[in-house]
Amino acid sequence: MKPWITGLAAASLAALPLAQGLAQSGTLTVGLGAEATIMDPTRSSAGVDSYFFGQMFEQLLRTDPDLKQINWLAESWNLADEGGKPVITVKIRPGVTFHNGDPVTSADFQYGMQRQQDPKLSRFSHLLNAVEAFEVIDDLTFRLRFKEGDGSFITSNLHLWAMPKRHIEKVGEEEYQRAPVGTGPWKFVSRTVKEELRLEAYEGYWNKQNRPTVKNLVIKIIPEDLTRVAAYKTGAIDWIDAVPPAATAEFAKLENTSTYTAVTGNNLFLNFNTHQPNSPFNDVRVRRAAAHAIDMDAIIKRVLFDQGERYAEIGRGTPGYDPDLKPYPYDPRRARALLAEAGHPRGFEVPCYNLTTPREPNIKEMGEAAYAYLSAIGIRCQIRQLEYGAWINLGRRDAPPEMDGIVSWMWSHGLPGDPGTPWLGHLHSYQAGKGLGSYSYTDNAEMDALLRQQQTTMDPVKREALLKQIARIKHDQVLGGLTTYRPMVTIAWRTSKVAFKPWPSPGFWRNFQEIGLK
Amino acid sequence: MLALVLRRLWQGAISILGASVIIFVISRLSGDPVVMLVPPDAPPSLIAEIRTQYGLDQPLVWQYLLFIGHALTGDFGNSYRWQMPALKLILDRLPATIQLAACGLLFSVALAVPIGVLSAVHRGGWIDRIGRIFAMLGQAMPAFWVGLLLILVFAVQLNWLPAFGHGTPAHVVLPAIALGWYPVAAQTRIVRSAMLDVLDSDHIRLSRALGTPERLIVWKYALRNAAVPLLTMLGVYFAAMLGGAFVVETIFAWPGVGRTVVEAVFSRDFPVVQAGVLFTSILFVLSNLLVDLSYGLVDPRIRDVR
Amino acid sequence: MSASTLPARRIPWAALRRLPWLPLLVLGAVGIAAIGGEAISPHDPNGLDLSASFKPPAWQDGGSWDYPLGADNLGRDILSRIMAGCGVSVIVAFYAILFSGSIGALAGMIAGYFGGRVDAVLMRLIEIQQSVPSIALALILAAAMEPGLSTVVIVIVLTYWAWYARIIRGEIMALKGRDYIAFARTAGVSTPVIFRRHLLPNIFNTLVVLGTLQVGQVILFEASLSFLGLGIQQPDISWGLMLSDARQYITNAWWGITMPGIAIMLTCLSANIFGDWLRDRLDPQMRQL
Repeated sequence: MKPWITGLAAASLAALPLAQGLAQSGTLTVGLGAEATIMDPTRSSAGVDSYFFGQMFEQLLRTDPDLKQINWLAESWNLADEGGKPVITVKIRPGVTFHNGDPVTSADFQYGMQRQQDPKLSRFSHLLNAVEAFEVIDDLTFRLRFKEGDGSFITSNLHLWAMPKRHIEKVGEEEYQRAPVGTGPWKFVSRTVKEELRLEAYEGYWNKQNRPTVKNLVIKIIPEDLTRVAAYKTGAIDWIDAVPPAATAEFAKLENTSTYTAVTGNNLFLNFNTHQPNSPFNDVRVRRAAAHAIDMDAIIKRVLFDQGERYAEIGRGTPGYDPDLKPYPYDPRRARALLAEAGHPRGFEVPCYNLTTPREPNIKEMGEAAYAYLSAIGIRCQIRQLEYGAWINLGRRDAPPEMDGIVSWMWSHGLPGDPGTPWLGHLHSYQAGKGLGSYSYTDNAEMDALLRQQQTTMDPVKREALLKQIARIKHDQVLGGLTTYRPMVTIAWRTSKVAFKPWPSPGFWRNFQEIGLK
Repeated sequence: MLALVLRRLWQGAISILGASVIIFVISRLSGDPVVMLVPPDAPPSLIAEIRTQYGLDQPLVWQYLLFIGHALTGDFGNSYRWQMPALKLILDRLPATIQLAACGLLFSVALAVPIGVLSAVHRGGWIDRIGRIFAMLGQAMPAFWVGLLLILVFAVQLNWLPAFGHGTPAHVVLPAIALGWYPVAAQTRIVRSAMLDVLDSDHIRLSRALGTPERLIVWKYALRNAAVPLLTMLGVYFAAMLGGAFVVETIFAWPGVGRTVVEAVFSRDFPVVQAGVLFTSILFVLSNLLVDLSYGLVDPRIRDVR
Repeated sequence: MSASTLPARRIPWAALRRLPWLPLLVLGAVGIAAIGGEAISPHDPNGLDLSASFKPPAWQDGGSWDYPLGADNLGRDILSRIMAGCGVSVIVAFYAILFSGSIGALAGMIAGYFGGRVDAVLMRLIEIQQSVPSIALALILAAAMEPGLSTVVIVIVLTYWAWYARIIRGEIMALKGRDYIAFARTAGVSTPVIFRRHLLPNIFNTLVVLGTLQVGQVILFEASLSFLGLGIQQPDISWGLMLSDARQYITNAWWGITMPGIAIMLTCLSANIFGDWLRDRLDPQMRQL
């Protein structure tokens, strides 16, 4: 197994000149490969949005650099049971202020929740469906009452964001979208879409321990890989996001450069057509043959330049991770034998849909290689490339075209992530109009029952056991797809100039929680 | 003359209107934007809600009429992805694209004129051949490839010029070369043949006979006349630059309309695609209009040859 | 000038000696690779061998004559892929030119010959077509259809027919005034016959020149589309797709991005030089095109 953190500049993690008493000054320019579309967490529609609002907004809980959930804007919280219904009580950390100086109160969280529940504003309103009521106890205490259990609520850091109620009501929605105000370490200065975001360290930031020590931060958007690398090498930026996989080896050797590699929150797999009656993949032996056919380790090494980590059903650090579950070993002879046993001694032809999005480095090449391995044992792939828009249209069950072969798919729920919700999408059987199995080609009653059970189980220990149970069955039967790898991202910065401590989710290490000039 | 201008403007407006129908219909055939905007586990009710919000549940004809009605008042709708007015997104980027196109054009003319003149003067000689091959190279290489090689050599290896961004004159050099090399061949040909005609004319022969220095004859008297056909065609080349910008902007992360539209096509962001393509089309039509008018002024004979 | 006297279609033998041999040689090689296909290519162009990934060209350290021009990131032989790309380029160019040329020529002939309202409608269509930047139109078209070889051809035809139509229309308008056409009309010769006997032969040279000059443009256009991800798709192979795939390895393996680019450059340059030569021979009027 790969070390959890590779190529790490240990020195920068261990000690960082802390902010206390230090005057913040100077400007740091960093380069990102992707850009957030909006800056308001309520309106977020894509994972990349957190790159921007993650700097300016905060939640009650957060994941620390070791992927442990810690209290953040919450001073404390607890889960109780009242008459069979769950209740969460939260005490807000005192002394937290918004960038305009207003103190954060329960009303701001209530307002934040109301915004999230409004489908006109939020694309994630359904995630709060289980919440029955928000009770304000006092300025710093509130209570969430649930209709029924919601298994992913706690793993999602209690979902809520602190939104400045008074400020938004005063300036209006449009102005707020232009110039957001949050509680985070960085305060909005200006933004030029598709070019840059300028931020300034917030002097009144509550967390005196973990905060930036540089005054100005300029985030440049440079989507083109080669250009972004050139910008770093020429000194236009001093911190680079998403070093292209092919360049990671070179960056590791670059003078005066620290690199840091870690898994992103994405999880990739190949899914099979098992919903059409004549599909060869209805036979579990064919699915197992496919699992044995692909030399994923070679692909990770050669195609992904080691920027990937194999996983079996659930990745390390994610709820439900089971160290005893191992990926199927590469064994082409066994694969051929399984295929013959299933009645396909001479193999068969099948359409293989390959996602080609730039959102995930080398995913296209990875797919081409994996499909070539399948072809070699007799699952003869007719590769069809799909860009993101066409791909998602193919994958969903509620509209044509039908996914009639193999498709490369992924679920991305950040870190540590929770498999429950994505499984409801691609492992639970498809149920039209209910939001279940929207991208699923699997129909297994036992699975459905277990999945629904975990959905309402809030107790972390019980939930963990349930997730493990599902993962084992899923793995053994190769249901809901064949898990391949979790992509890794490498960032780099100039050692002599930048002091940086990577923070994980949300935003996959693009959170500039602790960064400064040397 | 005024009547001609008005007639051409009217025709241009009709063209743009026709173009708007085509862009509208084709972009809507390219798939459902809503599924790309919501998380994969979004319930169908949310998808339906957003579809209604954007008016995507209406019949196509009605959607178009609403779009064109609003567009005439300057409202191109909000970008699905950026949740801000599409028109603003495009207008903010228009100056950068015009700047890049102008610099590309400048680069091409700055190359084409000397090559054209020299190859006319040394007709059939090695300067003529090498000059023309160099000019033709631009027409034989994809602009994005030239761009990549330029970045590799001048930005990464030599570190002479910035590889991306915009703001200072240095930033525009590499993208302008990648964009401007393509039309050099055609422009060289125009300058060369015009120079050949002029150098053969009576008044140049007369100047020669009078003992005017050859350098003065070529670079001043002859070029002044030979430049006219190139000048009249500049609009066409400017329009071509706008088209080429779609690819070049993507390579150099140039914050222009082209790159914005390319991204919008992939995310099915119809309002931005419509606004972006329509505004490029308007620039296109205006440049071609200028060409037509200058043809009319200079030489009515070549009006239909393009 | 020479239109009414019908410039002979036979090429004088003296001119053969001045044929652009080098460009013709390149084009011939492309043609042979296209016809030969996988039968003459050293490797399966899609054959993947991860152990050979990024093998440098034969003359460099670590290279071998198994992979004369090196191998790409997935260990596929670059030479074989370039040869396979010849086929795609030839097919795309052939169909794109055939269809855009015929549609454009027909539209141009109809517009120029009939004039009046027909001409006005067709000209409006051409102007609408030409008011949208072709790469933008191509982008949304390619996104609307399933990307691939036939989509690329359709996109090119839709963007280029207007170019032919405009030029042919101009020529036909000039021809229409000639006495013998007017005579044929008054003599009651049917319109199809006039088109076939009198108009087509006169614009034939122009069409040949335009078609030759379009070869390079088609290849570049296809490359741009493939580069943006909306052109040729695996398992089909095109030079543009190869460039697009090799782009991210530009600093690891220079041969990946250089070799297909050189193939494009040589082919386009040869087609353009040959086109220029043809134009100077067949249609001196169009020198400025």
